[in-house]
Amino acid sequence: MSQIDAYQRQLEAVARHPAMSDDNIHVRKGALDAPSNVLIVLGIVGLLATGALAMIFNVKHALAAYEVGVFTVTAFSLGGMFWTMVFYLVNAGWTGTIRRQLENLMMMLPVCLAMIAVIVVVELASGGVLLSWMGIDPATDHLLDVKKGFLNEPFFVVRFFIYAGLWMFLATSLWRNSIHQDATGDRMLTRKSRFMSAWGLPVFALSLAFFAFDFLMAMDYRFFSTMWGVYFFASCALGSIAVTLLILCILRSLGLLTGLVTKEHTHDLGKLLFGFTVFWAYIAFSQYFLIWYSNIPEETAWYVNRKVGGWENVATLLVIGHFIIPFLILLFRDIKRNVAGAAILAAWIILMIVLDFLWIVRPMVYVGDMLDANPGPTGWILDIAAIVGVLGIWFGFLLKRIAREPLVAKNDPRMPEALGHRNYV
Amino acid sequence: MSVADYFPMLKPFLPSGLQDPPARFTGPTGKPVHGILAQYSAVDPVWNAGETVRDAGFTAWDLHSPFPIHGVEDAMGFKRTKLPYISAAVGLTGAGLGFLMQWWMSGNYEIVVQGKPPTAWEPYVPIIFESGVLLCAFATLGAMFAMNGLPRLHYPLYSHEPFLASSDDKFFVYIEAKDEKFDLVRTRELLESTGADRVDVIEDE
Repeated sequence: MSQIDAYQRQLEAVARHPAMSDDNIHVRKGALDAPSNVLIVLGIVGLLATGALAMIFNVKHALAAYEVGVFTVTAFSLGGMFWTMVFYLVNAGWTGTIRRQLENLMMMLPVCLAMIAVIVVVELASGGVLLSWMGIDPATDHLLDVKKGFLNEPFFVVRFFIYAGLWMFLATSLWRNSIHQDATGDRMLTRKSRFMSAWGLPVFALSLAFFAFDFLMAMDYRFFSTMWGVYFFASCALGSIAVTLLILCILRSLGLLTGLVTKEHTHDLGKLLFGFTVFWAYIAFSQYFLIWYSNIPEETAWYVNRKVGGWENVATLLVIGHFIIPFLILLFRDIKRNVAGAAILAAWIILMIVLDFLWIVRPMVYVGDMLDANPGPTGWILDIAAIVGVLGIWFGFLLKRIAREPLVAKNDPRMPEALGHRNYV
Repeated sequence: MSVADYFPMLKPFLPSGLQDPPARFTGPTGKPVHGILAQYSAVDPVWNAGETVRDAGFTAWDLHSPFPIHGVEDAMGFKRTKLPYISAAVGLTGAGLGFLMQWWMSGNYEIVVQGKPPTAWEPYVPIIFESGVLLCAFATLGAMFAMNGLPRLHYPLYSHEPFLASSDDKFFVYIEAKDEKFDLVRTRELLESTGADRVDVIEDE
């Protein structure tokens, strides 16, 4: 009985904390409406332009440009779910004040899945415009023949529904527990979410890897890399931290979350950003290095296609911009503890993740078609329209979602720890 | 830190330049004074004592507790360590040396392995990375030991029976006699004024 009393007193103490005042943890009504509406309109315009250019210019190119955006935002959403589950599982006390933003990313999964469903429909209707294995008879190609048990249309659709079902179940359950706890303060909900995270993480890891195999790796059905799931995961983990950091910095600059998300929290998010910048570089180079060394044609072809037609410059830019610059800057403690510095770096990393997906997806459009490898300005307009379109829709709805619920999980049992969080170094 | 701190058994054999400076104070039994130890029985008084000693300007002193006290490094006036700069500098040096080693080797004796071009940059990367990590790790460990004075084989406090409680239920502040501000009478008064349970003069052995 006394333990329950003590917990009740803790909840009351947190509720009385000056930083937990209503105008500090709620976005003022309508404050985010203008930017989110602008982003959504921008997104709709971009997607309409993509659709129009798909009709008059090139469906394959339009779909690839659209996929660049879709897989970027899917990576952000999946990363939000990953970190939510990790923080539950390891009982990370300092995350009490930032977890709601990761949950907001996670709850953007329905939007992502709807956009992926469009890809599935277009691929099936067009007989595999980008997923070329759909349009090839396995009997004529030995490399496809040995994979036809996995790469066939019915199983592909079934797998998509499995991923969608698993992710929606995990995301909505975790979200429901968290919102329910806001109202009731029931700490058993945290235990339920932690239990769910324990089995959810391995399930999530496998589904994420196979999702990446199906939609990104299988664009060249001959290509295979055991590191591919990890490569996609690196963008998920890094991108979601970057988006969260950017959003928290924007909310801080709006005068919200004062005393709740301090420079100690941005410091720790910056450490994760640093860690996963290095992680991305490590696994991306390892994948390249092993394929380069073993020199097996069906593997090297993937990289050969990305070393021609100007894509080698993008690869160089990725090495410098996605790894060396953030690595050197994030080494400095003061950058991670500075709101403006952290926000700029997070925005830069988001841009680099878009570029990474561009480098993965876009060269597939003109594979084996080198004369046409430079589609001219129309191609680039199409790329920009589609990427801005998808990112605009996603960020627009994200802002709407942020404004809807409290900005922190206010009855989280780990709240006192998060409020007093400090880096003791 | 002097050589004699690390290896007290070498003291009789060391030249006079490496010996400790002669003690300024003599304890009750006639031996040189090593420092003054104050004992407390709770976190709050030892925290306040730490702030008092910090504000008095002492540098050669320490605070002992059976468990970590978060934030006490501020009460003790710790400054940020310089260790990360040493790690970064030596790590980058190691990476550069790793590159130079390969450049020199393959420049002087070119071997074609598996038909790869001799000028390929890819094989350089793991070795640059590994040599950077290796030197960084050695430098960090070595500099850490050099800066915090470990490993220390012996310390006069260990022979002081009441100090054993520092791993049980007592808290201590210890000021060494080698501190420039140290004075046998006034330092003792300072520690007594912080509400210590007991204050002892520790002598060299």
